Amino acid sequence: MRSAAELKYGEKGMIDFIDESHPSARRILEVGFTPGQEIQLISKSIFSDPMAYSIRGTLIAIRKSEAECIKIL
Amino acid sequence: MNIGVQKQIPFITLIGPPNSGKTTLFNYISGKNFKTVNYPGATVEYSIAKILKKFNFEANLLDSPGIISLFPESLDEKVSIDAIYNHPKFGSPDVVIITVDASQLSRHLLLVHQMIEAKFNVIIALTMIDMLNKKGLDISIPDLELYIGCKIIKVDGRIGKGVDELLEAVKKDIANPKSNRKTNPILSGHNNQSATLIELFKRIEDIERKVLIPYSLSNNDIDLTAANDKLKSLSNLLNIKSAKQLDPMTLKIDKVILHKYWGLAVFFIIMSTIFTSIFWLASPIMSIIDDAFGFLASHAFSILGNTWYGDFVSNGIITGVGSVLIFVPQILILFLILGILEDTGYLARGAMLIDKPLSKIGLNGRSFVPMLSGFACAIPAMLAARTIPNKKERLLTIFIIPLMSCSARLPVYALLIAFLFPAGKAWLAGIFLTFIYLFSTTTAVVVAALLNKFRSKLFSDKDRSSFILELPSYRKPKFSVVLNNAYHSSKLYFKKAGPIILGFSMILWFLTYFPNTTPKINGSGLSQDKIIQIQKSERLASSYASDLGKFIEPVMRPLGLDWRVGVSLISAFTAREVFVSSLALIFKVTERGQPLQNSIIEAMRKATIEGSGQKLFTTSTIIGLIVFFIFALQCLSTIAVSKKETGGWKIPLIQLFVFTTSAYIFAFLAVNGLKLIGIP
Ligand SMILES: Nc1nc2c(ncn2[C@@H]2O[C@H](COP(=O)(O)OP(=O)(O)O)[C@@H](O)[C@H]2O)c(=O)[nH]1
Ligand SMILES: [Mg+2]
Repeated sequence: MRSAAELKYGEKGMIDFIDESHPSARRILEVGFTPGQEIQLISKSIFSDPMAYSIRGTLIAIRKSEAECIKIL
Repeated sequence: MNIGVQKQIPFITLIGPPNSGKTTLFNYISGKNFKTVNYPGATVEYSIAKILKKFNFEANLLDSPGIISLFPESLDEKVSIDAIYNHPKFGSPDVVIITVDASQLSRHLLLVHQMIEAKFNVIIALTMIDMLNKKGLDISIPDLELYIGCKIIKVDGRIGKGVDELLEAVKKDIANPKSNRKTNPILSGHNNQSATLIELFKRIEDIERKVLIPYSLSNNDIDLTAANDKLKSLSNLLNIKSAKQLDPMTLKIDKVILHKYWGLAVFFIIMSTIFTSIFWLASPIMSIIDDAFGFLASHAFSILGNTWYGDFVSNGIITGVGSVLIFVPQILILFLILGILEDTGYLARGAMLIDKPLSKIGLNGRSFVPMLSGFACAIPAMLAARTIPNKKERLLTIFIIPLMSCSARLPVYALLIAFLFPAGKAWLAGIFLTFIYLFSTTTAVVVAALLNKFRSKLFSDKDRSSFILELPSYRKPKFSVVLNNAYHSSKLYFKKAGPIILGFSMILWFLTYFPNTTPKINGSGLSQDKIIQIQKSERLASSYASDLGKFIEPVMRPLGLDWRVGVSLISAFTAREVFVSSLALIFKVTERGQPLQNSIIEAMRKATIEGSGQKLFTTSTIIGLIVFFIFALQCLSTIAVSKKETGGWKIPLIQLFVFTTSAYIFAFLAVNGLKLIGIP
């Protein structure tokens, strides 16, 4: 199972589920990363962390560890 | 709760997700001038104001920090949520206006749903319609009202579009007997389960599909209901697709700005451009002001004559105040550049770019904005740290903010740098100033890293760390907005610093003029000017200030300085700028026809350590002073705010002690180190 952190530049993916064991899981959901949504990796900061995704028509930056709990199809 | 019979005017609260246009709307309705910034998390404290008279509606309006949901993660979000459930003074609101970004419908309706579920009385102000229209889309208001079940009005707070209609709806709602009572909202704790959240988003997406319509259609009033259903759902699918398109311009710019390696380079170029430009952009305007005050001071002196009131007006007031007012252009430019940066949408990117390096030293990407605003003033900067969810990271950010080079230090540095570099070399001075900024920022980072090692002792908290931040689309900065913001920040700055500077100038003047107001000297064979000069130094040498200064003298000696600088340093604890005005005063700088700043520097060059003939201000002592100002926490208001924001005296007292002692130690090392290697 891949996570959003493994997407390549410009690659798209469909969210399958959010790993709820991560303490940030609720906030990740609240900002709009929900199952069924398409996301695209737009950019990475130096050290590949944080990463910015296109989601629901906006750009959201999250840490790599947080991206890892977003599982994609 | 509110059982009193006393008639209260309605209480309206404005909430909404970050960056959805709350403050813009609030400013328009209340006539206030709070800062609006293209950064999620610009407002960290609520503010209350009466609705402007012209709207013909007497009510209190509250603006609040942005929230994503009813479950707060950080202090600024908690401020909002506390205020809507139960404001200490106004109770719960009669009506809550929720701003919803029309181009972010599927994300922003989450809060609306939670609010309605919690039984709040809500009206939606739909903002950023222009952004949605640009994507060729619009929203069908009747449909959206139907699905959400509350009144919805399109507004644009920047130009006031729809505001009358919005307030009309609020009035009507309050007049409606059903909602006449204050509601008793439910503290809903049950619906923050992930399953509920996911379910809620599904419902919202469904609504979004039904209400998004092509812009052209809504414009031409074509009846959509007439179109056949199949066509409708097809067009809606396309609508959603184009609604989810990112702004192409933003994507292009981010290719560079958020580039894995270039990004950081651009970051440093932007930061150093800011500080280099402060000097050379401001210097032509500064010399005009400088000339004007020099002219005023010397004329006041010649009109009023060599009397105590002549001296009071020209030295106590004009010189004291003028010596600080000269720096208005620099401070204005600093605020202007910061404002442009804020309005473009870069701040969030900056935060993202340095999240990783900052998290290595116990800070957070969200520390970036507080640190940057620390370049303007430590007080709002400490408040801005509220957006950092993790307590440890927040306290650490607050701890190092006094090291960020605030605008009150600018006049001090400007004067001291002007002493070091010959006039006409503004670019050199600019580079040196940039170096000071870099140095103080590095120091802040080092202090954070050191503290991070011992943080378990200092801050007891084990919150998880997180960084989730929306990056808003880039926007061309609106110059009128930026100018307005810069003007108001500068005004605020001088409202705060002005009275202190004026007050201290007067006190210091008194201390330096009395008790020996007319010293007897042997003036035979000397010119009038010379006599005045000798009288001045005689008067100062036997003044109260001098008596006071003798106490400080032993402390100042190791820094190569004397009691006169000591008095100035001590007065600078009220506010750093006072240092400049008190130097001006103590070295009594009114010489005929000299511009003010030049004459301060002239007087400084001539000043000698009493009784030795040795020059007081040299390259090494000036650099020592700069080092002192880099470290010292000389600001009473900062200490007060630090106490409030950290919830106790522990941190502010440690800050005061650590920063001021190290200021002294490092200044000592700098002065004597430089002397050792042969720099006087
Ligand atoms: N295009 C557009 N921009 C807006 C509108 N309303 C506000 N803004 C801008 O959006 C940014 C965020 O606004 P602000 O009021 O600070 O949002 P807040 O965080 O909700 O208080 C500012 O730069 C405003 O100028 C609008 O209707 N259309
Ligand atoms: Mg705001």
